[in-house]
Amino acid sequence: MLFLCTSVLQAQTKKGDVLIKNGTVITITDGTLENTDVLVRNGKIDRIGKNLKTPNGVEEVDATGKFVMPGIIDAHSHIAGTSINEGTSQVTAEVSMEDVVDPLDVGIYRALAGGVTSIHLMHGSANVIGGQNETLKLRWGSTNPEDLRFEGAPRTIKFALGENPTRGGRSRGIQPQSRMGVEAMLRNTFNDAIKYRDAWNAYRSNKSSRKVAPEYSLRMETMVDILEGEVLVHCHSYRADEIYMLMKVFSDFGIEKLTFQHANEAYKVAPELAEFGASASVFSDWWAYKLEVYYSTAYNAAILTENGVTTSINSDSGELIRHLFHEAAKTQKYGDLSDNEALALITLNPAKQLGIDNRVGSLEKGKDADIAIFDNHPLSIYAVPQMTFVDGVKYFDIENDVADQRIYIDPESTVEDVQILYSNDHDRCMEGANVVNFTDLFNNK
Amino acid sequence: MKILRKTLFRLLFILPLIGFTSNIKAQSDPTGESPATRTYAITNATIVQAPGKLMEEGTIVITDGLITAVGKNVNIPVTAEVIDGTDMFVYPGFIDGMSNTGAERPANPERPDNLFTPDPPNYYAGITPENQVVDQIKVDENSIEAMRKVGFTISHTVPYGRMLPGSGALILLRDADHPDKLILTEGSSLYSQFSGAPGAYPGNTLGIMAKFRNLYKNAELSKNHSELYASNPEGVARPTRDRVSEAFYPVIEKRQSIFYNASNSLEARRAMRLQKELGFNLVLGNLQEGWDLADEIKSTNTKVFMSLELPKEPKSSKEEDKSDEVKRLEERRMEFYKKYISQYAELQNAGIKFGFSSIDARSSQLKDNLLTIIENGLSEDQALAALTTNSAELLGISKIAGTLDEGKIGNLIVSKGPYFEKKSQIKYVFVDGEKHEYDVKDGSKVKEGDETPVADLDAILGAWNYEFTTPQGTQTGKFIFTNESDILSGTMTSSDGTPDTDLQNISFLNGELSFDFSIDAGGQSVDIVVVGVVDGNNYEAEASVAAFNFTFPIQATKDEA
Repeated sequence: MLFLCTSVLQAQTKKGDVLIKNGTVITITDGTLENTDVLVRNGKIDRIGKNLKTPNGVEEVDATGKFVMPGIIDAHSHIAGTSINEGTSQVTAEVSMEDVVDPLDVGIYRALAGGVTSIHLMHGSANVIGGQNETLKLRWGSTNPEDLRFEGAPRTIKFALGENPTRGGRSRGIQPQSRMGVEAMLRNTFNDAIKYRDAWNAYRSNKSSRKVAPEYSLRMETMVDILEGEVLVHCHSYRADEIYMLMKVFSDFGIEKLTFQHANEAYKVAPELAEFGASASVFSDWWAYKLEVYYSTAYNAAILTENGVTTSINSDSGELIRHLFHEAAKTQKYGDLSDNEALALITLNPAKQLGIDNRVGSLEKGKDADIAIFDNHPLSIYAVPQMTFVDGVKYFDIENDVADQRIYIDPESTVEDVQILYSNDHDRCMEGANVVNFTDLFNNK
Repeated sequence: MKILRKTLFRLLFILPLIGFTSNIKAQSDPTGESPATRTYAITNATIVQAPGKLMEEGTIVITDGLITAVGKNVNIPVTAEVIDGTDMFVYPGFIDGMSNTGAERPANPERPDNLFTPDPPNYYAGITPENQVVDQIKVDENSIEAMRKVGFTISHTVPYGRMLPGSGALILLRDADHPDKLILTEGSSLYSQFSGAPGAYPGNTLGIMAKFRNLYKNAELSKNHSELYASNPEGVARPTRDRVSEAFYPVIEKRQSIFYNASNSLEARRAMRLQKELGFNLVLGNLQEGWDLADEIKSTNTKVFMSLELPKEPKSSKEEDKSDEVKRLEERRMEFYKKYISQYAELQNAGIKFGFSSIDARSSQLKDNLLTIIENGLSEDQALAALTTNSAELLGISKIAGTLDEGKIGNLIVSKGPYFEKKSQIKYVFVDGEKHEYDVKDGSKVKEGDETPVADLDAILGAWNYEFTTPQGTQTGKFIFTNESDILSGTMTSSDGTPDTDLQNISFLNGELSFDFSIDAGGQSVDIVVVGVVDGNNYEAEASVAAFNFTFPIQATKDEA
């Protein structure tokens, strides 16, 4: 509200022109079109049709025998961020991932190589009301975080229920330490926000020249924006009871825009989610990694879809993000979703959950030319991404896939013959959330 | 150790054992060391009055702290101590744009019992903008002499701390018996960093950015409120005293700039982002990665002090059968090393008038780094400007410092041979008109820091096998101490394969060896300080983790060579 300077900061990003010829075009919204061309002008899809003429100066890409689909959108990612959790407080609505976007993270290129064009860079799940997230376009190669911003995307924020925020609460000796405490904290914070809004409204309507402003709180400003529907809530959750609890809380406060992240038990309350109008962004077949997520099913996405819940499949991982098309394909084994339904889970549906479906998520005239090209049908186990375009600009081409993609290099780093780095904690929800204690400090695992 | 890795900001300090004897004593000094005169004349010298303005066989006169004459035919006062400047080059004293010179690092604030982590007390959160650096300045801080002997005469010194440590001051690097006597101007900056509080809010960049905005906005409201009350208190709620907000008033009025310690490009962009949102005057200090930022710096009118710290030149592997991949990786690493050392010339060519800051650099490395920067495109005049006139302009002291002109403070360097020649040596540094003399070696073998009792160091040089026990078991590895060009450095290795860590602030004095190192624990840097006694080949020490109020014993035994 008070910091509307983002447009000034927005750098002019590159827009491309390209004609993708003679591919199998999977539009998501208008069926699958054989031997069809997609013409991109100035970063937007200009025409989709057969035998389109190549305008002067426009590069052609031969997609004969290949599959052209909308760029994949990951509604839950922690790549491209220098910090993930400000977990020191259980409400940090004032913090924003837009301040910590890391355009130099090689994970961005790896995601592009998996056909991904947009991610939802989320705050972690260490606290009940975490920070604001940032929707990004993977414009790899720029060193300026502003260049990755999905300009015009709605603001979103991370909430978290269950074990993660209560674990943080218990280790710090602060509220919440139980699921009851989580709900109380949510209600108290929204009530504080209403009081804050009232105080500022009273101040603004006061005509006196000798009025004194109330204390400013960026945290409460954000909470007010949530109440007013300006910020979409994405809530980390697992159990059906807590999912249902949050819908009740939001009903009481009149908040409508809600997506449940992970939501492994969402299938148990699928009709209730549909009635509320809430969405779900889930894993394909991953659970039992802690007690609260012991009970789940690989049919989760299919059941939610069949019940009319807008559902997406996300990665929450710098590794899974490289093959979200495989993750989507699992819903055909577990739930018999159609090709279009399965692919919508990683394109149009996450776009809806992020409020960017007017721009991306399907191949339609006028939409952004965020496009992935595969050699086989993307739901085939043999599918390999060939090219990835954002705004019509090619950021990945398997024919020109330079091994060392690092943008900045530390001159004092060591060079080793083989560099395989794997850290289970990296690019994940609880990254950096560790409440450091002496045991952690010297734990070599 | 969970993640034991090299800290970003290496601060290896030369042993603080330099025996410097002050030659400036009060008038009643019974030692007889007080100067006979406060008037000096350096004759027959090559005088570089300002970058590009050179006078041969000139004379410069300093009287009572000020430069009183510069020229070829000047009268030398009869009271002057005359210094023969034959073969000598005289330069304006260097000005450091941002450093901790003269400040003593205070102990880390103790973690309060029952700390409410979402809202810690300000001293723990590191939000103390009302503090003044003069309270941390110690007249006998080793850094004052260490910086002076390489030619620095004025330092913009900023306080140690976390997110908002306090305001900086311009200090003269002179000898004095009280910190007040070093002060040139106070409140020169409001100093800010991206340093979170250990395990409390704001813990990292996310919280720091938000907290900064919140503090700034409330400071604006508080300022309006207090002005309203001051104009007429009747019927207006009385403002409560809020020193944190008050510290921002000069910034809001643009009488004071915010100096952001922004070493990497992302930090620099974040600081500029805050500047664009809030509208304060911004100075970036300690910038080490600026090659992609020229446009941004220019479009925001941001002032810049580039870091004088450079990465070590990468050494390619000497293995004969190294793979093509290793060769390519080494080439790219070298390509980036070149970016670090040639960015100064690039920014200069882009029209950015920068100064230098030494905050992350070692004083003994400064000249080598300057020469590297000059070899990579910055001209000597441009380098001198960054050390003198640019810094003076950026700090608003052009009227009193930066050049050798009549009326300016008597801050100057007298060098045997041109300063930017590798073998040149500084013979005198004048600060505030006071003479500091240094030994100049003959011959080609220049050895700095010869006051360091090198022999004593042998007691610790080499590898030590350490052992300490934690709840996770026993940790072992080596501390390795080396002495290169009289710079004591140390590394800590770990038997469990954790990467090596540099040891910092190593000090060995009267048998007591102390150093510290940092562990990256879940994105949070934790400092561990080790202090102990060396007895032959045994080292018995105690390590303390201030963030957790915790100590544990460490033993080490020296490897026999």
